Amino acid sequence: MRSEPIVSAPLGRSTSLNEMRALAAVIRREWTIFIRYPSWIISLLIWPIIFPMGYILTARALSGVDGSGLTQFQINTGLTEYVGYMAVGTMIWMWQNVVLWNVGGALRNEQMRGTLESNWLSPTWRFAYLLGASVPQLISMLVMLLVSGLEYAFLFGVKFQGSLPLTLLVILVSIPAVYGLGFAFASLVITMKEANAFVFLVRGIVMVFCGVTYPLAIQPQWMQNVAAWLPQTYIIHAVRSAALSTEGFQGIAHDLQMLVLFGAFWLALGMAVFAWMERRARQTGAIGQY
Amino acid sequence: MSDIAIQAHKLVKQFPARADSGNDKKSEGEATSAKKRSFWPFGKRAPKSMFTAVNGVDLEIRRGEIFGLLGPNGAGKSTTIRMLCTLLEPTSGTAKVNGFDVVTQANQVRRNLGTVLAGERSIYWKLSGRENLQYFAALYHIPPTVAKKRVEELIERMEIKDRANELVEKYSTGMRQRIAIAKALLARPPILLLDEPTLGLDPQAARNLRELIAQLKQEGHTILLTTHYMEEADQLSDRIGIIDTGKVIALDTPEGLKRRIDQKEVIRLELTGWHDDLNDKLKSITGIESLTSHQKGEADLWEVNLQAQNSRHALPRIVESLSGNGTRLVNMNIVKPSLEDVFIHLTGKALRD
Ligand SMILES: Nc1ncnc2c1ncn2[C@@H]1O[C@H](COP(=O)(O)OP(=O)(O)OP(=O)(O)O)[C@@H](O)[C@H]1O
Ligand SMILES: [Mg+2]
Repeated sequence: MRSEPIVSAPLGRSTSLNEMRALAAVIRREWTIFIRYPSWIISLLIWPIIFPMGYILTARALSGVDGSGLTQFQINTGLTEYVGYMAVGTMIWMWQNVVLWNVGGALRNEQMRGTLESNWLSPTWRFAYLLGASVPQLISMLVMLLVSGLEYAFLFGVKFQGSLPLTLLVILVSIPAVYGLGFAFASLVITMKEANAFVFLVRGIVMVFCGVTYPLAIQPQWMQNVAAWLPQTYIIHAVRSAALSTEGFQGIAHDLQMLVLFGAFWLALGMAVFAWMERRARQTGAIGQY
Repeated sequence: MSDIAIQAHKLVKQFPARADSGNDKKSEGEATSAKKRSFWPFGKRAPKSMFTAVNGVDLEIRRGEIFGLLGPNGAGKSTTIRMLCTLLEPTSGTAKVNGFDVVTQANQVRRNLGTVLAGERSIYWKLSGRENLQYFAALYHIPPTVAKKRVEELIERMEIKDRANELVEKYSTGMRQRIAIAKALLARPPILLLDEPTLGLDPQAARNLRELIAQLKQEGHTILLTTHYMEEADQLSDRIGIIDTGKVIALDTPEGLKRRIDQKEVIRLELTGWHDDLNDKLKSITGIESLTSHQKGEADLWEVNLQAQNSRHALPRIVESLSGNGTRLVNMNIVKPSLEDVFIHLTGKALRD
C-alpha cells in the first residue's frame, strides 16, 4: 500500500452549491438502488390495473351490466364515466398509500440496513436525506399515474374528456400535502418504531372519508365535515373534475386553493416532526438502533 | 493549534431504561406490557429510570497518537465514540474534537472526523465500491473534481481497483471494511474514530488492517480506536484507556500499564476435572489476589490463571488444593503479566467471557 502526505485541512467545504450536490447525490443513490430491484416494473404496470379492478367490478354489478342503474350515479356526481371515476379515486388513494410506505419507510429502511448512521456522520443538511429519497419515489409515482391513465384509456376505453395539463396541475399542487404526510411518518418511525401501525389507520381514514369510490354527497353530514379537513378529498375531487369533466379550471379552482393551504400545512408539519426526531434521536441514540 | 486532538471532560451519557428498547434481557412481564401499549405510541410510558452507559469519562488524546479504548462488552466504548462523532448528545460534560465543541459546533466536528462504526453495515450493498465512495464524497462536500481524484486514489490504496465496479454485496467482509475505512478517509480528516475495526475479520485481513492503521498514524492522523482484543490494543496504541461500566479505570502506555503489576506474578494452570468448589478453595489461599478460569478447546481441559503476590509461597498450597476429587494438574507455568492480566487485576473479571 502506498503512503500519502501528512494530513492538513479536510477537503470538504460547505457552500450552498456543495449542499445542492449532496442532495443530488442522495437522489442519484436512491435512483440507482431503486432500478436495481427489478420488482419496480411490476408495481408500475400491474398494480394500476389490479388494484382498482375490485371496485370497478362492484360498481358494474350495482349499476347493471347495461348501465341502467347509472342515472343515480350521474345525479350524484355529474359524471357517467364510472370506471374512470373509480380508477381516479383508487389511484390517488394508492399514491398516498405508497408514499406512506415508501417515503414513510425511507429512513427506517436505512436505519435497519445500518447506513442511516453513516449518512448522519457527514456534515450534510439532514433533511436532504429524506427529500432526496422522495424524489425518485415521486418520479416513479408520476409514471405510475400516467401509466394507469393510459391503461384505462386504451384497455378499458375510459373517455378522459377533461384536460391533461389541468390534471397535471392538480397533481403538482397535491405533492406538498401528500409528501408532507410521508415526511412526518418517516420521522416518527425512526424514534417510535410502532408508529408503523398508524399507516393502516391513515389509509383507512382516507378510504372511508375522502370519497375514494363514492361521491361525498351520499355521506352523512358529520362525515362530510371530517372529509373537508382531509387534503385527499380535494385531490380526488379535483383530479376527477380535471380529467373526466369538461368544466375546465372553474371545476378545480376551489380545490387548488385548499390544496395550497393543506400543502403548506403538511409540509411544515413534516419538517417540524423531522426536526423534532433529529433532536430526540441525538438524545436516545435511535438513529443507530434497529 | 493546540496539540490536543480530542478532549473529553466529565462526559456522561444516560439512556432511558425502557422495557421495549435495547437488546438487554428483560422479564416476560415487562415485554408483554410493552406489547399491549404498542398501538398507541404517543402515550406516557411507565416512569423512566435512567441507565448510565458512560459515567464521567475524561480523555485527552494528543495529536498524532493512536489511542486505544479497551473494555469488555457494554463498557461504553461505542457510546463514547458516538458522542464524539455527534451522533449522541452527552447528558452532561463536554467534548471537543480538533478544538470544536461536539454539541455547539457539530458540523465542524463532522468535517474534521472520519468515523467507522459498524463497519460493513455502514455502506450500501446495492451500490458498487466506487459508487459508495463517490456518494459519500458528495456528502462530505468535496468538490467534484477533487472528489474524483480522491476516490480513485483510495480505490488504489485499498487494493480494490479491479473490483471497484462490483456491487458491495459481492465483496468479502475484509473488502467491505476497507471501503468503510476509505469512506472515512475521503475528506482527509485529521482525526479518525474506529469502533472495533477488526471485528469479524479473518486473522490475515485483521493483520492487514492493523498495518494500515499504523500507516495512517505515520501520515499524521490522530486515531481513537476501540477494541476488546488485548493484543490489538497493545500492538497499535501509544496509550490505552481501560474502560469498564462507563468509567475509565486506568490510562497509560501499554508498558506503563503492565509495569503496574510487574511485582505480581501470574500462575497459569492447565488441569482436567475442574469444578466450581475449587474456585473458593484457591482464592482463599493467602497471596492469591484473583482467579479466572475458562475451558480450553478440548473437552474437560481448563486453563486457570491466578495472580499472586509471591508464587513460591502459594505454590505448595495450590498443588495441595488440587489433589483428589478427580482433578488432575496437567501443566503449570509462572508467566509475565500481559495486558489481559492488568485488566483482570483492575476489574476482577476477564475481558472476554
Ligand atoms: N441507544 C441506546 N439506548 C439504550 N441503551 C443503550 C443505547 N446504546 C447503548 N446502550 C447501552 O449502553 C451500554 C454501553 O453500550 P456500548 O455500546 O457503548 O458498549 P461497548 O463498550 O461499545 O460494548 P461492545 O463491546 O458490546 O460494543 C450497554 O449496556 C448498552 O446496552
Ligand atoms: Mg461497541
